[in-house]
Amino acid sequence: MTAHADVAAGLAGAGEAPQVDPAEVRRVMEYYAERGWTDGLPVVPVTESYLAEFLAQTDRDPAEVVLSMPHLNRHCTIRLAAINAALAGCRPEYFPVVLAAWESLRKEGMAERGIWQSTTGTAPLLIVNGPIREAIGLNSKGNVFGSGFRANATIGRAIRLTAINAFGLRPHQLDQATQGTPGKYTSCIAENEEDSPWPPLHTNAGLAATDSAVTAMVYRSCIHLEARHTTEPEQLAGDFANTISRTGSLVHQTISALLVLAPEHAHLFARAGWDKADLQRFIYDHAAVGRGTLAAVGKDAVSRRTKWRLPAAHPDAIPDDSEVAAGTGTVRVLNSPAAVQVVVAGANNAGVSAVIETMGQRGRPLYITRIDPAPAPAAPGPAPPAEPG
Amino acid sequence: MLERAGVPTVSICTDSFTVTAQAMAGVYGFPGFEFVTTPHPVASLNEEQIRSRVKDFMPEVLRILGVES
Repeated sequence: MTAHADVAAGLAGAGEAPQVDPAEVRRVMEYYAERGWTDGLPVVPVTESYLAEFLAQTDRDPAEVVLSMPHLNRHCTIRLAAINAALAGCRPEYFPVVLAAWESLRKEGMAERGIWQSTTGTAPLLIVNGPIREAIGLNSKGNVFGSGFRANATIGRAIRLTAINAFGLRPHQLDQATQGTPGKYTSCIAENEEDSPWPPLHTNAGLAATDSAVTAMVYRSCIHLEARHTTEPEQLAGDFANTISRTGSLVHQTISALLVLAPEHAHLFARAGWDKADLQRFIYDHAAVGRGTLAAVGKDAVSRRTKWRLPAAHPDAIPDDSEVAAGTGTVRVLNSPAAVQVVVAGANNAGVSAVIETMGQRGRPLYITRIDPAPAPAAPGPAPPAEPG
Repeated sequence: MLERAGVPTVSICTDSFTVTAQAMAGVYGFPGFEFVTTPHPVASLNEEQIRSRVKDFMPEVLRILGVES
């Protein structure tokens, strides 16, 4: 039995395997790996003619800069973004999503200021809304954070490979992450708008539900929340508030979070008459921790200069100003209802949701970019550019 | 940056950041820039421990500055 046949054994309709020289394929894979142009996994070879298919997905100048890191004097152009999207395994028609992701990351601002180099070890998170999800096969349902869907896997990976190849953010060098997060390989989900009782995320930015858009955030942790037992919205929202209030992530005076609600949880709230704003307000009011709990972990005050949490006895310490009401000893972990955002994703099959611990949002607006449709295909013209070499 | 502006400068980092510091110096066109390093960690030290660290690395700071004793 051939290797192809082994792989295909469990797959109905696997079809005829392409006839290629596997030694050549491995040689190309090794070439890219030896140059450090990968995240550790094999990448797709990119030629000028293949790159042209990506660049044909936009009217923008290939030399236009999509994101800069001034402190490194490095800039990512449309062309570099396209090369890395191709390396990541994107199909050309995914490229407008990648470009919208870069625009949202630019507007969000933390990447340009160097967060991707930080010891905290964050990853970008992309959330896609609108008809593009269906058009390119982005998963919004079961296993939404997991593997198995090319568009999710490769669009998120395109951002990581660009960080490595265009900005030089290699681990142990300019990427100083103490541990990083598995999300650094790829983090791209789509909202399950079809199973959501509420308006989709991108309508927050004034976009129409019929638009397609990418929202970008920065996060470190994705915490699972399981609650299959309750039908009370206050109990379920309290469970989310309790999860958000853990001290480990409370680096600054307050934090921010994204609730990724399974459809079952979203419908529980909706049935009780809650909209997203009701849920945000409840979480804001209940995501709190006692002063004694903070003191026990040495986070009961903040630094005068950085507002990072410190023990009250530290010479730089000043009191925080986030008590629910002065003198109550109950300290809020969110600075506003907008510091917790809500999206619906996953299968409609269980009370299993997630809390994403986002960095830097803390009540700021969401960074959402409409996806520009690809330009109409040009009339047959000159032959495509020759491949290098 | 200060060095480029003509201000004699010594950069101090923990030993954990030596490779990154060298990479950043390369980005800024200063390959081989000399850093003073002190053992990691620093963030959790108290005032007395910080003073002791400074005493330990001051001779190295003065050497890089070219101060003659």
